[in-house]
Amino acid sequence: MSDHIQDLHLRSKPQRRMWQNFLTERGIDVFNDTEIDVIDETIGLLDDHDQLVGTGSIAGDVIKYIAVQNEEGASGSRFNMVVSELVSRLAQRGVFHILVFTKPKYTDSFEHVGFTKLADSDQGVLLEKGEPNIQTYLADIPKVPAGKEIAGIVMNANPFTLGHRYLVETAARENDFVYVFVVNQDASLFKTSERVELVKAGTQDLENVIVVNGGSYMVSYATFPAYFISSPDAVIDYQTTLDARLFKNWIAKDLHIQTRYLGSEPYSHTTDLYNQALQRELPPEVQVKIIPRKELGSGDAISATSVRKAIEEDRISEIENRVPETTYQFIVSHKFELQDRIKKGKKDGD
Amino acid sequence: MEIKKTAIAGTLESSDVQIMLSQGTDGIQFDLESDVEKQYGKAIKATVADVLKAYGVENANVKIVDKGALDMVIKARAIAATQRALDIVDEPMWEVL
Repeated sequence: MSDHIQDLHLRSKPQRRMWQNFLTERGIDVFNDTEIDVIDETIGLLDDHDQLVGTGSIAGDVIKYIAVQNEEGASGSRFNMVVSELVSRLAQRGVFHILVFTKPKYTDSFEHVGFTKLADSDQGVLLEKGEPNIQTYLADIPKVPAGKEIAGIVMNANPFTLGHRYLVETAARENDFVYVFVVNQDASLFKTSERVELVKAGTQDLENVIVVNGGSYMVSYATFPAYFISSPDAVIDYQTTLDARLFKNWIAKDLHIQTRYLGSEPYSHTTDLYNQALQRELPPEVQVKIIPRKELGSGDAISATSVRKAIEEDRISEIENRVPETTYQFIVSHKFELQDRIKKGKKDGD
Repeated sequence: MEIKKTAIAGTLESSDVQIMLSQGTDGIQFDLESDVEKQYGKAIKATVADVLKAYGVENANVKIVDKGALDMVIKARAIAATQRALDIVDEPMWEVL
C-alpha cells in the first residue's frame, strides 16, 4: 500500500461532495457554516487507486473532521498518518498547542498519539496536545495564600461596563480574592488585549482582584466545535457541560476557587442555559452565586450589547453612565476605529 | 544553550517518533508516550538526553510520542528537533552528528 496525502479544497464542488460523503458514511453529518467557515485547510489521504481513505482539517489551533477508513490488520496507521500530517502543518504555522473536540469513543485513539484529556461529557470530549498546555497556563497565574476565600468570574467584557464592575465589586467584597478571567476570543468588537486592559483599568482600585486572560481554556463555549453531534439540542448541552467541567476540574481546582459568580441573564436564552449548566455541574466543590444585574433605575439593566449599539449609532454620550471612566475614555478616543470595525461586521459576542 | 522556540520533528507513523522541545526551567523534563515504554522507556529517554547534552541544552520540556522507532531514528529526530529549537538549522553542529 502507498497512501498519500493531498490537499482538499472544500470550495471545489466535486471535492466537497466526496469529502462530505466520506464523513457522512462515518457518522459525521453536520456541515453547517459555523463549522466549515473557520476551517483553514483540509487534507485527504488517498490510497493507490486515488480513493479517499482518510481526512482531517485545521481550524486555528483546533483539528476537526478527522475520519479514516481502516484497513484490515493496520487499524491505527491511517489515523496516525492524518493526525501526524495535521500536527506538522500546524507546527509550520508556529502552532504547537492543539485542541481536539471529538466523540468520547475516540479518546483512546487521540491519547495514543500524545493527546491529554481535559474534559468530557456524554456527547463529546476535549483533548489537547503540545505546549503551552493547561499546566503551564495555570502555573503562570499568580497564586494567593492558602486558606482564603477565593472567587472566580469569567467574562467577555465586550467592553467592561458598570454592570461587570458591580459583579466584580460584589465578589471582591464577599471574598478574600477574586480571579477575573477575560474570555480570549478575537471575534468580539473589542480585541482580547483591549478587553483585558479595560478590565484591569476598571478594577485597579480593587486590591484583591486578579485579572487573567482566559487563554485557550476560557473561550466562548459557543465556539466549541460540534460537527460530530447531529441534534441541535444536544449541542448546547455538550458545549456548556464541557465548559463547566473544564472550569471545575482544572481552573477552580488548581486555583482553589470556591465560588463562581455569574450575572443574571434576563435577555439571552443560551446564556441562561449556560448558567443552568454551571449550577448543575459546579457544586458541591464550587458554589455558584448569581448576582442580579445592576439596573439604571427604570428596569434598564446595563448590558455590553446596548453599549456596542450606542457606539454603532454614534450616541457616545449615552454610554457615559453605563461604563467606568476608563472604558469611556477608551471608547471616546477610539470611536472611529470601533465604528469602522462594526461596519466590517466584527461585532458579535456579549 | 537555551531553547529559543518550541520545535517539533518526526511523525506519528509506525516506526517513527515525534519529539517536541520547548523551553523549560527545571532541567530536562520528559513526557513519554510509547507502547513499549516498559521495555524501552529508559533507553528512548537516554538517547534523546545524550543529544541534548551534546548540544549543551540544560533546560527543556521534551514530549516524545514513540511509535516503535529504532535508536538511530530517535537520534535523528532528536537532532532535528534540537537544531530547530535552538534556531541553528542552517549551522549543523558536525561534532554532534
